[in-house]
Amino acid sequence: MKSAAFLLTVLVAMGTARAQVAPDCHFAPGWESSGSVRQFTAENLYDYKDGAADGYLSYGFARMSSIDCKSGPDTLTIDLSEMNDADAAYGLFTSNRDPKLPIAKIGMGGQIQSQSAIFAKGKYYVEIVEVADNAEADHTAVMQAFAAGIEKRLEGRVTTPEALLWFSQDNLDTVKLVPESVLGLKLLKRGYVAKYKQGQAFVVLEATPESAAEVFKKLREHFDGATPAQIADEAFQAKAPYLDGICVFRKGRYLAGYTNLPDAQQAAALAAKLATRIP
Amino acid sequence: MSSNTSRREFLTTGLSAGLALPVLGATSAMALEPQSAPQAGKAASPAKLDYRTLGRTGLKVTTVGMGCMITSDPSVITRAVDLGINYFDTARGYQQGNNERLVAAGLGAKRKQVILSTKSHAPNKEELQKHLDTSLRELNTDYIDIWYLHARSKPEDIPDDQIEVQQLAKKQGKVRFTGVSTHSGQPQLLPWMVQKGVFDVVLSAYNFTMDASMDKAIDAAAKAGLGVVAMKVMAGGARRLKPGDPNLKRLTQEGAMLAALKWVIKKPSIATTIPSITDMDQLDENLKAMANPLSAGDEKILSAHLDAIRPLYCRLCGQCDGDCQKGLPVADVLRYLTYADGYGQFALGRERFLELSAEHQAVRCGDCAVCTVNCPHGVQVPSQMARAQELFA
Repeated sequence: MKSAAFLLTVLVAMGTARAQVAPDCHFAPGWESSGSVRQFTAENLYDYKDGAADGYLSYGFARMSSIDCKSGPDTLTIDLSEMNDADAAYGLFTSNRDPKLPIAKIGMGGQIQSQSAIFAKGKYYVEIVEVADNAEADHTAVMQAFAAGIEKRLEGRVTTPEALLWFSQDNLDTVKLVPESVLGLKLLKRGYVAKYKQGQAFVVLEATPESAAEVFKKLREHFDGATPAQIADEAFQAKAPYLDGICVFRKGRYLAGYTNLPDAQQAAALAAKLATRIP
Repeated sequence: MSSNTSRREFLTTGLSAGLALPVLGATSAMALEPQSAPQAGKAASPAKLDYRTLGRTGLKVTTVGMGCMITSDPSVITRAVDLGINYFDTARGYQQGNNERLVAAGLGAKRKQVILSTKSHAPNKEELQKHLDTSLRELNTDYIDIWYLHARSKPEDIPDDQIEVQQLAKKQGKVRFTGVSTHSGQPQLLPWMVQKGVFDVVLSAYNFTMDASMDKAIDAAAKAGLGVVAMKVMAGGARRLKPGDPNLKRLTQEGAMLAALKWVIKKPSIATTIPSITDMDQLDENLKAMANPLSAGDEKILSAHLDAIRPLYCRLCGQCDGDCQKGLPVADVLRYLTYADGYGQFALGRERFLELSAEHQAVRCGDCAVCTVNCPHGVQVPSQMARAQELFA
């Protein structure tokens, strides 16, 4: 009986291992693996990432394979994370990207620097970090080679989430997926936030139009002095502490709007334009 | 202690012991009424604030601080400052530095009103220096109040050249105080930090599930003048628990997280805490820990949680010493398992297990027909030992 249970455990483990894409070190000349591939799940990710593990978990982390590679005195670590879905992988990328650097065309998006690279493709999020003998050395070519090599092995979506296309590109600073409590409000569970030179826009997807309506109702009650606005299915505008001029509307399953503008009218004008782009 | 002492009794006893400790000279409390800070459109009643002195730094910190690692929006930080929280923690490694940017945005012009800490996980002194300069730039400040070496669990993780970088930064005025953050190994690490004499603060995991050795280490460190900041105060929270886990319901019930926070700030050796605060609701909830001390109801919630993990959780009382017919150090092995299962420190648990003699590593509890170890606190020793052997051997 014990043997059968053990065999079953081994078979399950093998099946899991097969389902995962394991990283290796042969993407650039002179690089060899140093040690074996380490596997992490939500239960032991703290072991490896310490407090930063919460960030992964909040975005929908499933598992991670990690390997160290060496070339002479230089070491790099590849962390290949499998997330619950492609949106979660892209969301983690938006959380970790340097907003001052452009997004490179690797998978759904990536960034390559002299000693690090990150990108997302399908449900995978990849981080490559080099600890070079010379902290100032430019190893961009190595990072590009590793990122390109790993990206080829991964299957999945290469297009960004549709919601990103709805945000105006004028004076856009960054767009990120906020995994919980959009705008710092528990009511708005998960959504995209676009930061502009002035103000920010957001889009939150609810499960059904009915649940979206319920959240909208609570949200309107939350803002003292909110007045109705004529946008999409229903809308309100207000002037609120910490969020300044705000306008929120509901369109079907979507709750969206603008905040942190000098006045509510300005927020409403921009929100009306956003509403036309949401299907 | 009687053989049928319940976890609840243990908790209550532990609390009483904590209360009985002499109030340390460096630990004082006072209550102030901060300005009212309405939550995005809603009026909020003023919170009561408690302050303690952070060891030899002399800094007066609110007993509830703010861990900003998963804060969803800068406005939550801004409001926390307005409500009077004055200790904010981030790290270079959180979201590849984006968390430091979010903290800077949230603090804005109020940065000098608060105590700001960040950490570096840099593996060498060159990287460490680079991290400091980057943190200063991203936090939009010309000094950091407390700069931690991030996630070190033993003295070997803290090389002298990194301490030199910290001390140099202090002399240069880039850093006011230095420290180390640690998730494990406190019973060895904290005495070493005290003996080393160069650190001002320790940021340590500490919560209601931990054993007595942790209390001893923390009390001794505080007594020696180290400022003690507690993290992981919610015992890992509910994020790591899977749907269906009975502890998920317990930890997500109303007041459960708050009870865990109150339990930590009840301890005089802890100057402040840094629970991760995601949104305005959590901020309001955590502030209550300063207004309302740990109550019998809170104890009941925590006891229920501990009762749930009792079959799994060894309190290291030592009453099983010598009971194992194979001579296994049962409490030690269960502690290694707690590192992995309780604190998420698998590597540490395995490392300790592999330090056992080869003879002890080879023992398989499943081979014994009857286990001679009978835990007075209800820990299911045979199954837990078997799990440790399966996991580490």
